[in-house]
Amino acid sequence: MAKVRALPAEDDQPDRWEAQLRKGALEMAALASLWQGRLYGLEIIRYLEDRSRLVLSEGTIYPILNRLKAEGLLASEWVESVAGHPRKYYSLTVAGRRRLRLMAEAWTSFSSGLSRLLEPVLEKQEKLQ
Amino acid sequence: MNPEMPIESYLTTLRLHLGPLTLAEREEIVREIAAHVRDSAEESGASVESVLARLGPAEELAAQYRDGLLIRQASRSFSPLVLLRATLRLATKGISGIVVFSCGVFGYSMGGGLVLTALLKPIFPANTGVWFNDEQLVSSGVLFPAPAPPAHEILGMWYIPLALTAGSLLLLLTTFAIRRSLRVSQRLQSLL
Repeated sequence: MAKVRALPAEDDQPDRWEAQLRKGALEMAALASLWQGRLYGLEIIRYLEDRSRLVLSEGTIYPILNRLKAEGLLASEWVESVAGHPRKYYSLTVAGRRRLRLMAEAWTSFSSGLSRLLEPVLEKQEKLQ
Repeated sequence: MNPEMPIESYLTTLRLHLGPLTLAEREEIVREIAAHVRDSAEESGASVESVLARLGPAEELAAQYRDGLLIRQASRSFSPLVLLRATLRLATKGISGIVVFSCGVFGYSMGGGLVLTALLKPIFPANTGVWFNDEQLVSSGVLFPAPAPPAHEILGMWYIPLALTAGSLLLLLTTFAIRRSLRVSQRLQSLL
């Protein structure tokens, strides 16, 4: 089946392109935030905000967590907190850890290849400035 | 004004738009979002309104949950209706969704059409088939009137198993192609 990636007109909208790129990486980022242990939604959002500027709207992360759980990559549990209400904690399942490792490998080789490709583009810009 | 008011109306809207999900799932989502709003407001000292604004409109949040469910269900379904509904949803999100939807409609109508003509062959034997004239395809399908000589029908009753097989294969192929693209679109959030 033919796959058309984008209309030429969309190339002129870097903001939208960047938004889609961030959104696409959010699933992997959410999984990565749980590598060291369980976190609840707001902690995941803060974690991602601190380390990357991925989160566009705080609402987007919750449906993604829901989907990753439905796919069996995450497990969740409600834990009572000192704040007086329970919080929903997420953790990686065995399948989730395996998937994240594969994603990390694919991403690293993809991004280093792309960075090499983009080197001349950024060099030229430096000379112009 | 009661400070609980905006969050209550937000959660009511959210619950309302989570309709297709099961009651248990719906309540769990609402509970999680309620905890988020409370924690976020307490932690940052921000107003409930600004926390809700950062979450985005309740309708949009619910739509993201619904899309996830729709595509998850469809990627395991064999029903053309469920599959086309999911691709129609994708088609509103971008060009690749439109391509998948068009291919789906084309595949289903061609496949279904072929199967239908196979069923019509016993009823209209003289009007159903594939007509050739000097090794050149003239026409095929169910035709009223049938093409006039020198064009002649070449398959006879063989038309039935051949059209049935080709039609079913096309239907199956379309089904699996759509399910595959739905699964890919799940990975590529950019489509959603």
